[in-house]
Amino acid sequence: MQKTLTELNRKEKAEIISLNGGRTMQHRLEKMGIRKHQIISRINSQFMRGPVVISMNGHQTAIGRGMASRILVRPLNSGIPK
Amino acid sequence: MHYLLMGNPNCGKSALFSRLTGSHVVVSNYSGTTVEFASGKMNLEGKTEKLMDIPGTFSLQPSNKAEEAAVELLEEGGAIINVLDATNLERSLYLTLQLLQIGKPMIVVLNMWDEVMKNDIEIDHQALEALLGVPVVTTCALTGDGLITLKNRLPEARTGGLSADNNSNLWQAVESITKKIQTKGEAPETFWQKLDHTTIHPISGPVIALVVLFFSFAIVAWIGDWLHEEIFDEAFDLLWLPVAEYLSITMGSSGWLHDILIGELIDGQINFEESFGLLTTGLFIPIAVVLPFVFCFYLVLSLLEDIGYLPRLGVVIDGFLQRLGLHGLSIVPMMLGVGCNVPGVMAGRVLETKKQRFIVATLIAIVVPCMAQQAMVIGLLGKAGVTGLAIVYGTLFILWIMLGVIMNLFIKGKAPEMLIDLPSYRIPYWQSSVKKIYMRMNSFIKHALPYVLLGVFIVNIFYTMGIIDLISSFFAPVITTLFGLPGEAGAALIVGFLRKDVAIGMLVPLGMELQQLIVASIVLMVYFPCVATFVVLFKELGWLDLLKLTLIMLVVVLLTGAGLNFLLNLTGI
Repeated sequence: MQKTLTELNRKEKAEIISLNGGRTMQHRLEKMGIRKHQIISRINSQFMRGPVVISMNGHQTAIGRGMASRILVRPLNSGIPK
Repeated sequence: MHYLLMGNPNCGKSALFSRLTGSHVVVSNYSGTTVEFASGKMNLEGKTEKLMDIPGTFSLQPSNKAEEAAVELLEEGGAIINVLDATNLERSLYLTLQLLQIGKPMIVVLNMWDEVMKNDIEIDHQALEALLGVPVVTTCALTGDGLITLKNRLPEARTGGLSADNNSNLWQAVESITKKIQTKGEAPETFWQKLDHTTIHPISGPVIALVVLFFSFAIVAWIGDWLHEEIFDEAFDLLWLPVAEYLSITMGSSGWLHDILIGELIDGQINFEESFGLLTTGLFIPIAVVLPFVFCFYLVLSLLEDIGYLPRLGVVIDGFLQRLGLHGLSIVPMMLGVGCNVPGVMAGRVLETKKQRFIVATLIAIVVPCMAQQAMVIGLLGKAGVTGLAIVYGTLFILWIMLGVIMNLFIKGKAPEMLIDLPSYRIPYWQSSVKKIYMRMNSFIKHALPYVLLGVFIVNIFYTMGIIDLISSFFAPVITTLFGLPGEAGAALIVGFLRKDVAIGMLVPLGMELQQLIVASIVLMVYFPCVATFVVLFKELGWLDLLKLTLIMLVVVLLTGAGLNFLLNLTGI
C-alpha cells in the first residue's frame, strides 16, 4: 500500500518510494538526505497547510505541505506491499 | 596556505572558528546563522594562518544566496576543514565525498562528539580516516574538546583517495561507508525529545509559541523598564549629574558651547530627557534608556536561539507566514530585526527567492521597529498606561499582515515552501551564550553611540541656525493637517533618518497629548529606516528594489498616520 507523506499517520513508520516533484524539488530534498529507500516516521503536521515534520536517522526535518504531498511512501507496519 | 571551514548548516563551523581564531562570531543552534564569510587568523606551529568561516551548505549545488557564497569561496583555493555533525553522519558525508572529488587538501572534523557518546552511537573514526584517505579528528567545539589535536593535525591535510563517478553513486558510497564505520543503538526517548514533540504539536505548539512570545516581550518590557528606571536612571543622577552640573556652571550656564554640550536648562536644572546636549541627553538616551532594553532583548533572544527553539517557532507559524509570501524560516530575520534591523535584513539571505527576500526586507524596514525605537516608545507612552502601547503594537501587527498579504499578491516570483532541519534541543553552553550577548551589546554601543551623538549634535546646530523652523513650516501641511501633530515634530522626521531613538527623544519636550504621541510614534517607527539599515537594504536589494520599498513605505506612512489620526479623533482617545 502506498500513501503520500501527508496521508501518513502520526508516529507511523514508512519507506520512501519516490519523490514525484520537479528536478528542483528532488534536488532540494535529496541533498538533505531525503531520498528513495530511506526509512522515516511522521512526527506531526501543522494547521493552515503548515509543514509536515518527519524523523529520519534520529533527526527531524520540517517539509512544506506541497512537497510532502508529492513524496510517496510505503508504511512499514501495514505488511506486504501491493 | 589558508583554511576554509566547510560543512552542513548548524554543524558547528562558527563555534570551531571562534575557538581556533579567538575572534568573535555569532554562534546559534539553527541553520543559517552565518550568511557571509568571516575571516580570522590562527596560530599554527608558530606561523599565522588565515581561517575562513563559510556559510553552511548541503551540497556543492547551492539553493540560496548564502550557499552560493560558500561555493564561490571554495573556488579560491586553500585547504578544506570539512566539519561534520557526527550525530548525522550519513548526510554530512554526502558533502564530504563531493569535497573529496575536488581534489583539494582536506581534513575531516567529526564535531558534536559529546552528543555522539550521549546518544549511544559508535563511530570508528580511525576506519573512516583509512577509507577517506584524509585525517579525521573528533571535537566538541562548544567546550573545546579535541581542539588541540585538530590544530596539531591541520598541517596533515591532504587530498583524499575515494572516488565516485556521479551523484547517484554518491549516496550509495555514503551508505556503504556509514555501514562500515557506524553502529547506532536504539536510544530511548529523552525528556528533550518529548518536549520537542510538544512544541511542534499542531495544538500545543501554537499555544506554547504564544506563551513564549508573550513572556519574551514581557521580560524585555518589564525588566528593561525596571533596569532603566531603578538602576540606570538612578546611576545617572547619582554619578553623572554632579559632573554635568559642574561643567554647566563652569561654562556659565549659557553660551553656544554650553548649549551643545549640556543643552537647555529646564527650570534652571539639567534634565537628561529634555536638555538635549551631547553630554546629557546624548549619553542618557543610548546608555540609560536603550541599553537596558537591548540587553534584555538579546538575553532572551540568545536563550531561545541556543536552546534551538527558533526553527520550531518557524514550523508553528509557517502556515500563517505563507499568506505573506514567506515561510517559517523567515521568523529568524524578523526576530533579529526586532533587535536591530541591520542583521535582520542580512539574515534574509537564507530565503530562497528574490520575492521572499524583498518581502522580508520590506516588512522588517517598515513594520519591525528595532529595540532602540521600542525602548524610547515604551518610555514615551508607557507613562500614560498600556492603552497607547497596545494601540501602537496592534497597529504594527495589522500593518504587518496587510502589507505582507498585499505584497504576496502583487509581487511576481516564486515563494517556495520551507524545508528545514530541526536541530536537537540542547542546554545552552553558558560561556558561548554569554559571549554572544556581550558581542551584540558591544556592537550596539559601538554603532549606536556615535550616531546618537551625531544626531543630538545636528539637532543643536539646526536649532541654533533656525533650520528647525524652516523644516517645520515646510512639513507643516502633512504633519499638522494629516497627522494632527505640532509642526516641530517635522524636525524629528529629519533626525529619524539618522537615529530613530534620538528622533523619538525629540518628541519628549513637545508636551503632546496621548493621541498625538501615538500617531507620532507610529509615523516615526514606520517611515524611513535609519541610515545604517538603508545602506544594508541597498546592498541586499539593489537600487531599483530599494526605490520600490521606499515608495511602499511612503504610501504606508501617509495612510497609517492620517488614518490613525482620524480614527483616534473619532473614538476620542
